[in-house]
Amino acid sequence: MILTRTWLDIFIDLKKVSNEKLYETLNSIGLEVDNIKEYTIPPKVVVGKILSCEKHPDADKLNICQIDIGSGIRQIVCGAKNVVDAEYVAVATVGAKLGEDFEIKHAKLRGVDSEGMVCSASELGLPDIGDGIMILDESIGELIVGRELNEYKKLADTVIEIELTANRGDCLSIHGVARDLSASLKIPLNRFDYESQNPEKIGLARVSKLIVKGKIDASVQYALANMEELYTSLLFSLRLAFIDELQSDALKNTLKYITHTTGVILRAYDVGHIKLEEDEKLTIKLENNRGIVDVIINDKLYSKLGITHVQEIEATEKSSRVLFETSYMNPTILTNLVAENRLETDELFYNTSRGSEPNLCFGINYLTYLLESYTKSKLFEGNISLDEEREDKIVTVCTTEVCQLIGNDIPKINIMTILTDLRFKVQSTADDKFGVTIPNYRHDIENIQDITEEIVRMIGINNIEAKPLEFKESQRINSTMERYYAKKSLRSRAVGAGFDESISYAFSDKLLLAKYNFPLIDEKLDIINPITSDFNTLRTTLLINLIQAVERNINYSKKRVALFEIGTIFDNNRKEREVLSLIYSGQSETEYVGNAGKPKPITFDIFVKKLSAIIGNFELRASTKDNLLINPYQSADIIINNEVSGFITKVHPNVCEDFNLFDTFVAEIDFEALSPKHINAHTISKFQGVYKDLSLVVDKHLPYSHISNTIQLLDLPLLSNFYAVDVYEDKELGEEKSLTIRLFIQSLEDTLNDKDIDYTVNTILEKLHNEYGAKLR
Amino acid sequence: MKNLEEQIRDASSLDALSRVRIELFGKKGALSKEFAKLKDVPGPEKKAFAEGLNRQKAHLQDVYDTCYETLKKEEIERLLKAQAIDVSLYSNLNEKGALHPVMTTMDKIIDYFVALNFSIEDGPKVEDDFHNFEALNLPKNHPARDMQDTFFFRDKAVLRTHTSPVQIRTMLAQKPPIRMIAPGAVFRKDYDITHTPMFHQVEGLVVGETGEVSFANLKSIMSDFLHYMFGEVEVRFRPSFFPFTEPSAEVDISCIFCKAEGCRVCSHTGWLEVLGCGIVDQNVFDAVNYKDVSGYAFGLGVERFAMLLHKIPDLRMLFEGDTRLLEQFR
Ligand SMILES: [Zn+2]
Repeated sequence: MILTRTWLDIFIDLKKVSNEKLYETLNSIGLEVDNIKEYTIPPKVVVGKILSCEKHPDADKLNICQIDIGSGIRQIVCGAKNVVDAEYVAVATVGAKLGEDFEIKHAKLRGVDSEGMVCSASELGLPDIGDGIMILDESIGELIVGRELNEYKKLADTVIEIELTANRGDCLSIHGVARDLSASLKIPLNRFDYESQNPEKIGLARVSKLIVKGKIDASVQYALANMEELYTSLLFSLRLAFIDELQSDALKNTLKYITHTTGVILRAYDVGHIKLEEDEKLTIKLENNRGIVDVIINDKLYSKLGITHVQEIEATEKSSRVLFETSYMNPTILTNLVAENRLETDELFYNTSRGSEPNLCFGINYLTYLLESYTKSKLFEGNISLDEEREDKIVTVCTTEVCQLIGNDIPKINIMTILTDLRFKVQSTADDKFGVTIPNYRHDIENIQDITEEIVRMIGINNIEAKPLEFKESQRINSTMERYYAKKSLRSRAVGAGFDESISYAFSDKLLLAKYNFPLIDEKLDIINPITSDFNTLRTTLLINLIQAVERNINYSKKRVALFEIGTIFDNNRKEREVLSLIYSGQSETEYVGNAGKPKPITFDIFVKKLSAIIGNFELRASTKDNLLINPYQSADIIINNEVSGFITKVHPNVCEDFNLFDTFVAEIDFEALSPKHINAHTISKFQGVYKDLSLVVDKHLPYSHISNTIQLLDLPLLSNFYAVDVYEDKELGEEKSLTIRLFIQSLEDTLNDKDIDYTVNTILEKLHNEYGAKLR
Repeated sequence: MKNLEEQIRDASSLDALSRVRIELFGKKGALSKEFAKLKDVPGPEKKAFAEGLNRQKAHLQDVYDTCYETLKKEEIERLLKAQAIDVSLYSNLNEKGALHPVMTTMDKIIDYFVALNFSIEDGPKVEDDFHNFEALNLPKNHPARDMQDTFFFRDKAVLRTHTSPVQIRTMLAQKPPIRMIAPGAVFRKDYDITHTPMFHQVEGLVVGETGEVSFANLKSIMSDFLHYMFGEVEVRFRPSFFPFTEPSAEVDISCIFCKAEGCRVCSHTGWLEVLGCGIVDQNVFDAVNYKDVSGYAFGLGVERFAMLLHKIPDLRMLFEGDTRLLEQFR
C-alpha cells in the first residue's frame, strides 16, 4: 500500500506532524513503513506561463516560446511536442541545478537564444507521467507565475510505502490509513460529504431497475452517468504514478484513484451501446448462483460480484454512458467461493478478499464529486442499491483478561478511550466487562484477543513494560535434546577429521536416484508440485546431493573436497530417518612441504581411519548394498552393535566419470546407531599380559571377519584382545595369503604361565585349522 | 701438574676429553702415579703431601667437570642444529573442517533457550494439513495460506512450511506448562536470490495457566535473546499479523551494518526485521483442547540470522556445500 502525505491531508490534518513522527506512528500501529521517498524540486524551478509559441525557423522539432516567469519574460526553446497545448509549465530558470552536474545556463539552440528549460516530470526527479513536458494545472493548487515549484507540496510530496498484513484490508485505502492514524495521533478524521450539484433531470429509477433473484450476501449500489470531457489531472497522474497505477485511459485512472482513496470497490460498465426500446429500462439483475453473485444487465452477464467482470463491457474514457457499480462482500465468504469453484479473479480481488470498504455511499459520493468538479459529465439523480442485512458484531471485553494477556495493568477507562478512538461503539458499564460494537469495516476483529491487539497497537508495544518470566517447573531435558547434543558432538568430530559441514535440500532428482539404484518414493506418495526437475522427489540418500556438491567444488578448482551432512532421508514409504553421510574426494591431505606438494590421493585406509575418528569403533563386512555407487572390491557394510548400520565404499569409476570426480570415498550411516551408548567399565587386570603373533596361511579370499568371528565365538577367558596386523600375498603363496594376528593374553586372577598361553594359542590354531584349513607359516 | 690441567682444557671434543680422563684419573693415570709416591714420603710430611695431592685432584676434577659441561652443551647444540626445521613452513595446514554457519547459528540459538529451561522438540518434515494449517488457525482458503507456497504430495500430505506444527504435536502429547523450542528444516516453494525451497526455523512456545504468561514476558525474553545474539543493538516491536497469534508483533533490531544510519541491507530504514512473535490465539488452544491457559510463541529464520551475524552475501550458497564459503569458518 502506497500513500502520500498530501493525499492523507484529504482526511486528516497532518500539519503538526513531522515526517519522522508519521513514520514512527505508522510503524507502531502495525503499518510497517517499507520505503520512504521525500521528493524535493530544485530551487529556481518556477511556474511559467507560455505567452506565445512559434516554430523554430531552422528546426522542425523545436519551438520558441515566450514565457512569463514572474520576474520577467524569457525566451526558451523547447523540443517537446506537447508544449503547444500548454499554458502553465515548470520552468527551470538560469542557475537552476537539475542534477549533480546539470546546471541551466544561457544557451543558443540552432542560433536562437534560450534562457531556461521547460521540464518534464522525470527531469524534476518526479515519476514519469507520460511523454513531453509536465503541463501544470490547478489540481496541484493555485498557479502563481514565478512561484517556486517546490512550494507546491502536492508535487514535492512524501511518498510512503507500507507493508500491510493480510488481516488489515481496512487500510488498503488512503482513507483507511488516515482513520487508523487519527485514532493513534488523536487528530479528528475529516468526514467527506458531497451532494450532486447538477444532476441530469431524469431520475435513475426512471431509466433502470434492479431485480434480485435469491438471497444475496452482498451490498451493491449503482449510479449512471453521461460522460463528457474526462481527463486525468496532473495531480491524479502524479499520485497514480506514485502508486505505479497510471494508465492512459482517463476513466480507468479515475476508478483507480477513487478506490485507492476511499477503499470502496468501484467498477464501470459501458452501457451506451445497449439499445433500449421506448419505455424499456436498463435492467440489472443480481442472481445468487451457488453463492456467487452474478450481475446480469439486460440478459448479459457483466460480472461476478467482487471477483471479476467481463472485459469487453468495461467502460473506457470513450464510453458515452457508464453504469458505475460499488460493492462489498464479506471477504471470508468470497475467498471460500473462489477457492471452491476455482474461479479466476481480477486485480480488485486482492482488495475484496482482504475486506474492502463497506460504506458504499462514500465511494459514490466521491465519484460524483470528482465527475462534477473536473468534467462535464452528468449523473442521473439518485441511485439504486441493495443493502445486505448485516448484524452488528458485538464482542464482550473483560478488562482483567486484556491486562493478563498484555501483562501490564491498563485502566478500563484507557481501554474504552482507545476503542472509542478506533470508532468501536463502547457500552459503558459499572463492572469489569463491557460490550463493544465492531465497525463494519473491521471484519478481522472477532474476539477478546483481537481487541487486545488493538489496545497493544495503540499503546505501542514499545511502551509495554517487559517482565521476565518466572520459573516454576522442573528441568526439561528430553530425548530430543540428548539427540541434539549427540549430533552436535558428532559434527565437531567430523570437523576435527577434516570434513566441512554441508547442508543440502531434502530434495533429489528422481532420474538420478533411479540411475544409481537408490530407492524411490512410492509414486502415490510423491510431490505433486516440485520446484524444478532437479528437485522432483524427496531424497532417499544424502550421497547424490553430496556428490553434486563435490562436483561443483571441483569445478571451482578444488583438489580436495571433504564434506559431511547430517540430515533426513526418506524410504519408499516416505518414512523419515536421519543419517550421517560423508564424502571425501581427491588429495588425502593439504599440499605442503611434507609431501612436496604432491599428496597421495585418498585411499580406503585413510578414509576408514577418518571415519573411525568420527564415529568410533565399527566392524566392516563385505558389502551387501546394491546401489551403483558401490565399488565391488572396496566397499563394506558398517556393523555397529552387531547390526548393519550403514555402508562405506570407494565410488565406482562409472560414477566418478559421470560427475568428473577424483578418487572418491563415501559412507552413509544411520544416525540412530551413533547415539552415545551407556558403558559399564570392566575389571582391569593387575597382572602382566603378553603379546603373541600368529602368522597363518589361509585361502586368499577368506575375509578376516570370518576368522575374527570364529575366534570371538571361542570365548577364551585369557584372550583379552586380538587384531590383524599384517596381510601378505605373493606368487609363491599362490591362491593363499599369509595373515598375522596379534593376540594379547592376560589373566584377571593370576600371573600367566606357559601352559595357559599355549592352551590359548593352540585352541585358536586348532579351530582355525578345522574351519578354514589354516596352517602356521 | 700444570701440564695436566692444560691437557684437560685442550680437549676439543667429548671423545678427546674422555681420553684425557683415562690418562689422568684412570688406574694407571697420572694422578694414580702421584699418589703412589706417597709411600716414599717421610712420615711427618706425609700428611701435608697427601693433602696437597687431594687438593690438586679436586681442582683437576673441577676443571674436568666444567670442560665436560661445556663440551656436552656444544655437542647437543650441534645435534639439534642438524635437525633444524623451518617451522613456519607448517603454518595453516587446513586439516580441520568447518561447521556450517547456519548450524552453528542454530547451536547458538538453542544454547540460549536451553539455558532458560526450554525443551527441544521435533516433528516430522512431512506433515498433514491438520498440524501444518488447520490447528494453527489457518483454515482452508485462508488468505494467509497464500503467503506460504506449499509443496504437496499425491496423498495430500505436505512438506511442513514452518516449524509451528511441532507446537501442535507437543501440546497434544504433553500437558501444560510447556516451554519448548522446535529447531529444524522447513520448506516453501520459492526459489530466487532471497528464497530457497528449504531453510531452517527455530520456533518457540511457552504455555502456562491463564494470566501466568503475558505479552510483557514475551517482550522481555525476545529483547534479551536478541541482545545475546547481536550484542548492543536497539530492539523495536511492531504490531503485525500471524494467523496463530494475536496480538502479534514483528521485532526489529537496529541495523548492525550501518549503526542505524541507513544502508542497502536495511533498505535505508536503519532497522532489520529479525523475528515474529505473539500471544497464542485461542483457536490454537481450542484445536489441542487446552483450557484456561495462555501462552506466547515466536519464530525466526536461522539463515537470516546466520547471514546477518556473519555478513554472508548469498543465501543460495549456503545449500551448495561450497567450500569457498565453508573454509572461511575453519
Ligand atoms: Zn543499515
